[in-house]
Amino acid sequence: MELKLISSSDIAVFVDGLLKAGKVVVAPVLKQSGKVFFKPVQSFAEVATDYIQTAFSAKEVVFPKVEELFTYQHNEEGGLDIKDHLDRIPETVVWGLRPCDAAGFDYLNKFFLQENPDAYFKARYDKTTLVTMSCNKCDASCFCTSVDSHPGDTKGSDILLTAMDDKFYVEVMTEKGNILINSNSALFTSTDTLSKEAFLAKPLTHFSMDEIKDKIQNAYASVEWKQASMGCFSCGACAFACPTCTCFDIQDEGTQDHGKRVRCWDACGLSQFTKHSSGHNPRNTQTERRRQRLMHKFKYSVENLGVVSCVGCGRCIRVCPSHLNIFENIQSVTK
Amino acid sequence: MKELQIKAAELLENGTVNLLIGFCEDLGKRLVPCFIETAAEANILVFNQECKNNLSVYLHKKEVKDAVKIGLVANVATLRSVLQLLSENQLWSLTLTYLTVNGAGELVVLRSAEELEAYVQANFPTCRPEDQEMLDKLNAMSREERWAFWKDQLSECVKCYACRAVCPMCYCTVCTTECNQPQWIKTSAQTSGNFEYHTMRAMHLAGRCINCGECGRICPAGIPVHLLTAQMNQEMEQEFGGKTGWSLKGGYAMNTFKPGDKENFIK
Repeated sequence: MELKLISSSDIAVFVDGLLKAGKVVVAPVLKQSGKVFFKPVQSFAEVATDYIQTAFSAKEVVFPKVEELFTYQHNEEGGLDIKDHLDRIPETVVWGLRPCDAAGFDYLNKFFLQENPDAYFKARYDKTTLVTMSCNKCDASCFCTSVDSHPGDTKGSDILLTAMDDKFYVEVMTEKGNILINSNSALFTSTDTLSKEAFLAKPLTHFSMDEIKDKIQNAYASVEWKQASMGCFSCGACAFACPTCTCFDIQDEGTQDHGKRVRCWDACGLSQFTKHSSGHNPRNTQTERRRQRLMHKFKYSVENLGVVSCVGCGRCIRVCPSHLNIFENIQSVTK
Repeated sequence: MKELQIKAAELLENGTVNLLIGFCEDLGKRLVPCFIETAAEANILVFNQECKNNLSVYLHKKEVKDAVKIGLVANVATLRSVLQLLSENQLWSLTLTYLTVNGAGELVVLRSAEELEAYVQANFPTCRPEDQEMLDKLNAMSREERWAFWKDQLSECVKCYACRAVCPMCYCTVCTTECNQPQWIKTSAQTSGNFEYHTMRAMHLAGRCINCGECGRICPAGIPVHLLTAQMNQEMEQEFGGKTGWSLKGGYAMNTFKPGDKENFIK
């Protein structure tokens, strides 16, 4: 890891420099609705700087809501031309994501690349550099410190910036990060001291993973799941806003002559998700569906990939129409 | 508040109600739906202007239906949607009791569909001023401007179907979006498929939407989808008369025929 400093006024120069060098910069943008979304920007002037959390996570950069897997077209010889479009993926910098989102990328990496590497994810991930921004504010939905992370966590990031007064601490974590810094090295000065604690937000810690990891083993049979899911409306808002939810559905769109195959986000909370063609649904009630979602985050992903797949960003609580609270639920079912 | 809690406890205690759906405060001080089965829990109930959720949507939920005798702590929008649902012959398996607070701040208990109808008619809500302002703005736009507005808005849609899930009138067990033989509507959340979905939903709710605005309020992408159904409603009212969620015998425009209906759109 390398430690550097950049003055606040040079941040715009740095981002605009990346744009000038032909990179796509995806950054938080405030829309009319008052919500902040990750969007490709044309200049730093468009980038939102005052936000706790974006409405949706940055996972869309590497796992788009609709991924075109290939297009097909009948040709004149009577054959079929099938073509993927991986070569179209541009060099991308994700700017201003939060440490929880970056930790989400760490999980996505394991999920998509560990066993059977996914070509589409890999192509996007290899061309993506994450410039994360430490949190100086939080709200009642934030709970990263309960899931082994914190507002200045470097996990998953290529570069972590921490704002302090008139400058930023720059922690360069990876080679990808290095390349970005070196492309405009005049803006950065080296430093060897790092004391960012005073500039970080202090979210409430509701539990520790050490205690949950054991107790979750017996949580499947808990009677609390019913109460924990009564308010659930059975939509996919939590899963789609989540930085680590990876379920998808493959669809063909087009005609016999031409069309495309797409991969779309799906959600285990939707009643159709596990429905069999016979009509039988092994997870027929919302109680079973919400249990699956939470058990996957806190138990199954630990068993399968060795990590908890909840990063404590709190988006599921904020977007839920009835504000179902994942950290309250996890505590109640592991009582 | 105390009065509401005491009344709720009494209804649970004497067996009038097996399950009471109301609001309580969560750890973040937000007012969220709560589900109460015993009188001892009634002291968590809260009810005020900030209780926005339309709780009637839960009456379609299996775990709720199983309780049969249900109490609802409800705002007028919720009561209005229950009335519309009753007029559409839904909820027939349930025995419902309603608790609300009127304009004078008094607790009101409604024990029958007729009492519900009378209360809703006496306290009928009008279109929210901010919604009317947006509708007027949209109607004053050229077709191209309106198209651009909705294209920008709907490009953010991720098809989480939260708008459908919170809508008490979206009670179909299989939605058109889930039919795949033939596939009427694209599953992918791209702008064209998003237009298809939201247009279809607005059409299915024309003359049935009770304008509670929940779909727009809770949209994670901040899309004002409720304006689509609100606009449809105003047009239906203008063309066919009648109000949604107004009476037990209301029926709704899409499945009612009256000899006096204007037919000037058939050419």
